Amino acid sequence: MSAKEKVKNYILENYLFTDDQDALKDGDSFLEQGIIDSTGILEVIFFLEEEFGISVADEEMVPENLDSVNNLVKFIEAKSAA
Amino acid sequence: MSARIATVLAPIHDRVLEQGDAAAVVTAEQQISYRALWESARRVEGFLRSLGVAQGDRVALIAENSPQYVAVFYGALLAGAAVVPMNTSAKMKDFSNWLNHCEAKVAFVDFAPRETHKLVEGGLAAQLVAVNQADALPAPLCDSGLPTWGDVQAYELPTEPPQLEQAVDGLACIIYTSGTTGNPKGVMISHGNLMANVGSILAALPIEPGDRFLNVLPFYYSYGNSALHTHLVQGATLYLENSMMFPNVVVSRMAQEKITGFAGVPSTFSLLLSRGKVAEHDLSSLRYVLQAGGAMPVPVTQQVLEHLSNHVYVMYGQTEATARLTWLPPQHLLEKLGSVGVPIAGVEIQIRHPDGSECGPEEDGELFVKGANVAMGYWRNPEATAATFVDGWLKTGDLGHKDQDGYLYLKGRRSDMIKSGANRISPLEIEEVIVELPEVEEVAVVGVPDELLGQTITAFLILKAGHELNVRAVKKHCLDNLASYKIPKQIVQVDAFPKTASGKVKKHILAEQVGD
Repeated sequence: MSAKEKVKNYILENYLFTDDQDALKDGDSFLEQGIIDSTGILEVIFFLEEEFGISVADEEMVPENLDSVNNLVKFIEAKSAA
Repeated sequence: MSARIATVLAPIHDRVLEQGDAAAVVTAEQQISYRALWESARRVEGFLRSLGVAQGDRVALIAENSPQYVAVFYGALLAGAAVVPMNTSAKMKDFSNWLNHCEAKVAFVDFAPRETHKLVEGGLAAQLVAVNQADALPAPLCDSGLPTWGDVQAYELPTEPPQLEQAVDGLACIIYTSGTTGNPKGVMISHGNLMANVGSILAALPIEPGDRFLNVLPFYYSYGNSALHTHLVQGATLYLENSMMFPNVVVSRMAQEKITGFAGVPSTFSLLLSRGKVAEHDLSSLRYVLQAGGAMPVPVTQQVLEHLSNHVYVMYGQTEATARLTWLPPQHLLEKLGSVGVPIAGVEIQIRHPDGSECGPEEDGELFVKGANVAMGYWRNPEATAATFVDGWLKTGDLGHKDQDGYLYLKGRRSDMIKSGANRISPLEIEEVIVELPEVEEVAVVGVPDELLGQTITAFLILKAGHELNVRAVKKHCLDNLASYKIPKQIVQVDAFPKTASGKVKKHILAEQVGD
């Protein structure tokens, strides 16, 4: 399974409680669409650390890294390449 | 005939005349001066009048904090209407329930979140108006013919002088605190209530013209509503950040903009201090920090004092009291740690025994409050009004005591309302939704202690014979019908509920089971 599939399935399963892939667009802002809140994002970070073995520094907690499936995937790829 | 008073618009209009070029609202994208904000509000007023909105009509507002939110709020007041700000994380069921209940004539809506698109096909009586610009309207709505923000702002400025006075008991806003089917509780806040509370808060807090206040509180809640008015009345600048999802962004902005004031609930400060790297930023401009929304753990308070500001104002309030009821002067914070302080000006607080007699110092009882800030009741809900507004006193449902010096300490609530983050949540509302599922026989929803949020929600379910628990299906049903912060964190199946002799579920016993 690709990183994108893993990330998207995690969000669908844990925040939208569905496996309907159309329920979430890859570019949807979690914040704007009310999908994830301030405590949910901490769970997402825990998931990234567990699933992809990356660590997320506090200063990396910015919308550009975490606020959509696309942004998460880009962030994971950049962290994994580093 | 009721006496007339200057509304909250009057001092803001004074600021427009005195400091029109000063920044009133600043977002990451734009800065709006007092004069521009006022003109924007007057265009909203003209637009509303063109739609036939008249004195006393209700104008709903479903939008995150933004310059548009502020312009609509004051524009509706200028038109003599009452504003009905709604929780943006609510679902269509709530919106429809509230819009119909208050008979909103117009609803200004931010259509960026997909949930709001359902309003367009909802068969609602209210005229919908987008606070989005036409080119920012999501694709499915482009051909909907909805008036957009550009249409509203193209409306010419009214030439007649602004209406800055209203009847003291004229309705300024309705804030819905629960969405239970059939009987929503919309707190009716009059112009007299609003002005009394703004005045009392300003007598307690050191807000000054030129202050730069970073706001993360939703304006649709009474706490955020009071932050909005008090700062603009004083001529300060509001910097908007609409989420605590990225604490580092909030702290960076505090440092960058040399923010002088900040407000939050306990979880706001926990997130800032744990994830915001506060020690690495220069926050020396911060002059005052406001904390309300429940007791904050002592170690968090100590960290706030160390890293943010030594002027921490703890406050306590309720929507039914317009916003604020007490304040703890910062110089007494350490001496009275855990207290929510003393009444703000014009507020009287009594602690009563169940028989109605007044408690002595250190004796726990229920808080009853009185003052010009106590709301007029619940909109078109005489039963709930009679139960809560009793002989001129507001029955808060909060329990606590005063110490020998008259400082108030809260000890929970008489009702089983759940307090999670900044939200007060009615278990009944969640139970009503879950019991709609055909496999559910009975449900009981309780709040369980949580270090960050104060409480989280657990739903206990008894299923009908032959059914198995599908946690995802239960949560999905909740997500479709409830604001996301009302979705139970845990779903637990049980065979029976502990009940009293009269058949009432002993929720405290269920809550203890979660902790075990």
